[in-house]
Amino acid sequence: MSTTKNDDVTINNVDLGRKPSVWEVLSSEKYFKWMLIIPLLLVLLVFMIYPLIYSIFNSFFDADLSGRVAVGLKNYKDMLRDTDFWIPLRRTAVVTVVCIVSEILIGLGIATLWNRNFKGENVIRGLILLPLLVAPLILSIVWNFLLEYDIGFINQFLAAIGIGRVKWWAPSGALFTICGITVWQWFPFSASVLLAGLKSLPKDTFEAAQVDGAKGWQVFRKLTLPMLTPLIMIIVLLRTMWLIRLFDPLYGTTRGAVNTELLDWMVYRTSFVYFDVGYGSTLAIMSLYLTIIIAALMYRQLIKALDASK
Amino acid sequence: MKRFLILLLVVAIAITFSFVGCAAEEPAAEEPAEEAPAEEPAEEAAEEPAAEEPAEEAPAEEAAEGEVFSLEDIPEIENKSTLNTIVETGSIFDETLPYIEKFTEKTGVEVNIERIATPVVYSKENVELVAGTGVYDVVYVETAWTDEWAKYMVPLADLAAEYGSVEEFEMDAAYHSPVIMETCKTDGAIMTLPFYSYHTGMFLRDDIYEDPTEQANFLEEYGYELAPPVNNEQLTDQAEFFTRSAGEELKGVPLEKDMNGITMQASAYQANDEFSTYLWGNGGDYVDVIKDDSGAVTEYVITKENTDLMVQTMEEYVGRVQYASPGVLTANFDFVIAAVSQGDTPIVGMMYGNCFAWAVDELNQNVVPNDPDARLGIYPPIGKGPYTGAWSFGVAAASDNQEAAYWLVRYLASLEAQTAVMKEAGQLATRSDVLDDPIWYTEENQYPLGMLVDYLNDIWNNQDYIDTIANAYYFNSESAGKVTEMHMNTLSKGFSGELSPEACIESVNRQMLDLVERHDSIPIRVEE
Repeated sequence: MSTTKNDDVTINNVDLGRKPSVWEVLSSEKYFKWMLIIPLLLVLLVFMIYPLIYSIFNSFFDADLSGRVAVGLKNYKDMLRDTDFWIPLRRTAVVTVVCIVSEILIGLGIATLWNRNFKGENVIRGLILLPLLVAPLILSIVWNFLLEYDIGFINQFLAAIGIGRVKWWAPSGALFTICGITVWQWFPFSASVLLAGLKSLPKDTFEAAQVDGAKGWQVFRKLTLPMLTPLIMIIVLLRTMWLIRLFDPLYGTTRGAVNTELLDWMVYRTSFVYFDVGYGSTLAIMSLYLTIIIAALMYRQLIKALDASK
Repeated sequence: MKRFLILLLVVAIAITFSFVGCAAEEPAAEEPAEEAPAEEPAEEAAEEPAAEEPAEEAPAEEAAEGEVFSLEDIPEIENKSTLNTIVETGSIFDETLPYIEKFTEKTGVEVNIERIATPVVYSKENVELVAGTGVYDVVYVETAWTDEWAKYMVPLADLAAEYGSVEEFEMDAAYHSPVIMETCKTDGAIMTLPFYSYHTGMFLRDDIYEDPTEQANFLEEYGYELAPPVNNEQLTDQAEFFTRSAGEELKGVPLEKDMNGITMQASAYQANDEFSTYLWGNGGDYVDVIKDDSGAVTEYVITKENTDLMVQTMEEYVGRVQYASPGVLTANFDFVIAAVSQGDTPIVGMMYGNCFAWAVDELNQNVVPNDPDARLGIYPPIGKGPYTGAWSFGVAAASDNQEAAYWLVRYLASLEAQTAVMKEAGQLATRSDVLDDPIWYTEENQYPLGMLVDYLNDIWNNQDYIDTIANAYYFNSESAGKVTEMHMNTLSKGFSGELSPEACIESVNRQMLDLVERHDSIPIRVEE
């Protein structure tokens, strides 16, 4: 146990017989451990805590770039009365559910196929992971061109094989096109995580099940799926947090038109297009609260699932 | 070792605190205004007859009698500190950069150019200007933002008085399109000089319009001659007439694929430009701009007449969507050009003029090999109220090198640079002396460049149109930058049917009230 007493002139249990220098105090064990984490704390403070508090602060003001006027809870009241808020919120919920369900189903299917040895498996795994390596904005711009009604490659291909062109960006279906692009980019993430889970499952349990006469579907439902549940919960947790903030596919394609405006697009539009910083901050904070609440609920489920799997 | 680590930590803490200092620093919004009050110079410029009269009284012909400004006319610049500016990505600046290097060679002033995608230019520049950071010495301005940013820029005549000659500046400015120059002024003071224009027009497949079979069929079906449409009914009729399925005939030949009567850009990207074109063509505007006897804007009024015209324009637009490709709901200008230049449609109701040469080039590659007669023409859009678009340059009030910034702006708007804009970058110059160059009328250039030049000259000589622009909300408003973004978003919801025409326009009006009240110094009211 180290002690530093300026008057007693001991440091690290060594009696210096004089007042210790600043260097000696800072390098004492008591303070040195704090010195090591202070930069990290400062970085957190500057780049995470400060912006967050600043956003919360702004949400109580009618603020733009030139100044602010305190309005109390007005922005929050306005938000609750604003149909322009509830519609994107509902769409965000739809996109979140559709994308997560699709990504897990596709990811599970792909992971099951991957969990076998076959020729060229590494090449195929690498190719499937490619979408994860490209910036989402670039991918969405590329998809916008591919799915264009007249000149898009996909429609030209569909027309060439006799299926006919599809209205990918029609108001009735554009939201699901956005979901499709998102799922296409992110199912490799689910597949990779679930593959890791499949690889780590205990073989003897499955061999015992086979000996007991369990069939493929029974094995999957009674053994594989329960054992993968914690991983699925992790995917759901992470993807929910990311999907609530879905932005890039909108920027690269519809820019919030044809029934596709989501919550984060509204935050962007309000804050950085109209520069209504106060209301934009309110929307951003609401998005954050939602994420925290949903994440907390899911985290509890994750802990339960982990406990159950022990 | 510990001492070294502690030293390292102290440095890290110092750096972190410096970040805190930067982050916590209040935007110095007031400073630029204090250092170079925007109001005063503008007022002075407005009061000073010399600032106004020569521009109005010295048409291009008179100006042409004087010396045309060139790189050689830039005097020795005392302040050699580096200039910073921001521009769009795109080929135009690929061709322009060598000219900026010439400026550096001549003056010894380096120019840093930040290139970003067009949709984010406004928000990025706006933040820096409002904060008064002085990051950008030369401000890149779209026509609708001039008034909003005027308080962050210095009237160019003031800089001319300090670093050159007001008379020479105004003489040179008079070469530019009078319509575009209207959008470059705030309270009569020239705040920016234009760089390139994208006045909109209507593109038509001339070969189809001139085909005798098509003309006879159209006359029989609609009872009037097939010719470039001059009103909304004709435009819709023709869009309907040309909507055909594969197998039906066009110019007496069976079509191999479906053809859409018209193509539009109804996405949330630039939907407002298209709507503005049709709205102005119908004689309306988003609000009435009320001016006093001196020409200063005193009020915006949301009138019943304008609201009705907006609903009517929206209904007409939605009525044409049925004859367009389903892709128009998310189409930007690039998809529209692709559609016409691949033979998928004979009518583009509104398109940026600077895309015409590109569209012709694409048509020549895609359609002409199978149909040698295929040819595009450019015409005034319905009602002759095309969106006036131009990118221009001004000098930031917060710049610490206004001297060099002024001369760079002058050079970018000069005959030499503008000639490069048109000849090398394939964009539309805003100077009459560039457009008057006989080179555009050679056999090689007449189609499409000669046609474009004729079209622009027609626009620039249309006094009704000049008056429309001089009184349009977009070009008389500090809030237009925000409002245009709102228009893109909300109008596209009307185009796609997400909102009914009435609901869409009601939403536009409601948001305009809010945005103008929030961001404009001019009051707005709804007509009782």
